[in-house]
Amino acid sequence: MDAATTPLTIIGSPDAAACEGDFCEIPEHHEQAVVNRRLDSDLV
Amino acid sequence: MSNPIKVDIWSDVQCPWCYIGKRKFEAGAAEFGGEVEVEYHSFELSPDTPVDFDGTPVDYLSQRKGLPIAQVEQMLERVTGIAKDVGLDYDYDHVHQTNTVISHELIHFAKSKGRQLEMKERLLKAYFVNGEHVGRIPDLVAIAVELGYDEAEVAEALESHRFLADVKADVALAQEYGIQGVPFFVIDGKYGVSGAQEAAAFANVLAQVASEREAN
Repeated sequence: MDAATTPLTIIGSPDAAACEGDFCEIPEHHEQAVVNRRLDSDLV
Repeated sequence: MSNPIKVDIWSDVQCPWCYIGKRKFEAGAAEFGGEVEVEYHSFELSPDTPVDFDGTPVDYLSQRKGLPIAQVEQMLERVTGIAKDVGLDYDYDHVHQTNTVISHELIHFAKSKGRQLEMKERLLKAYFVNGEHVGRIPDLVAIAVELGYDEAEVAEALESHRFLADVKADVALAQEYGIQGVPFFVIDGKYGVSGAQEAAAFANVLAQVASEREAN
């Protein structure tokens, strides 16, 4: 692979969860999904 | 003649989204249905972490980020819930926060034997599910032996740091690409996909590459 000669086209959702440095953020839609699941399970 | 779509994945062993993203990518590749060749590359999220960090992941994040313990616990609980959705039982109560560089060396060792994917999966499981230590050489050798590798050969490779240059080369390539976070997927050498995307997103990009190849 030669990154210098193959610039990447970035695709996909910009909100997907990733870890940067020593911190892993939880995007808002994931937070909502967890809340929804808890509601479904009558945990909230 | 077979011409699989190459997918290069940058990932760290102690990255919760990398294991979740791995499962989502695998589901997306299955949905795509075509031939895909995966190669993992090393990425160190926190190369200054001591091998024997004295504390839990909660302590680590709380100390490093200055966050209240309760907030960190809540964050990890949420990640654990999301992991469960893709069939992974994260056990943060038993995770050993550590430096992962030698585990990356072990992945490169396995790659030299043509068994990289198996080792990558085993080390992610070791860290997040089994509560095994993935920073110390004896623990890593034990994992390799369990997979059928020769104990003396693995120990020599890790103690001599024979594969450290390969780890650093992966990290340098990530920097050349401008990769700042993981997981990061490079599809067919031209498309970059960042983060634990939904399976459908991976299936779509693989289908796009396949259709571009057909058109050319």
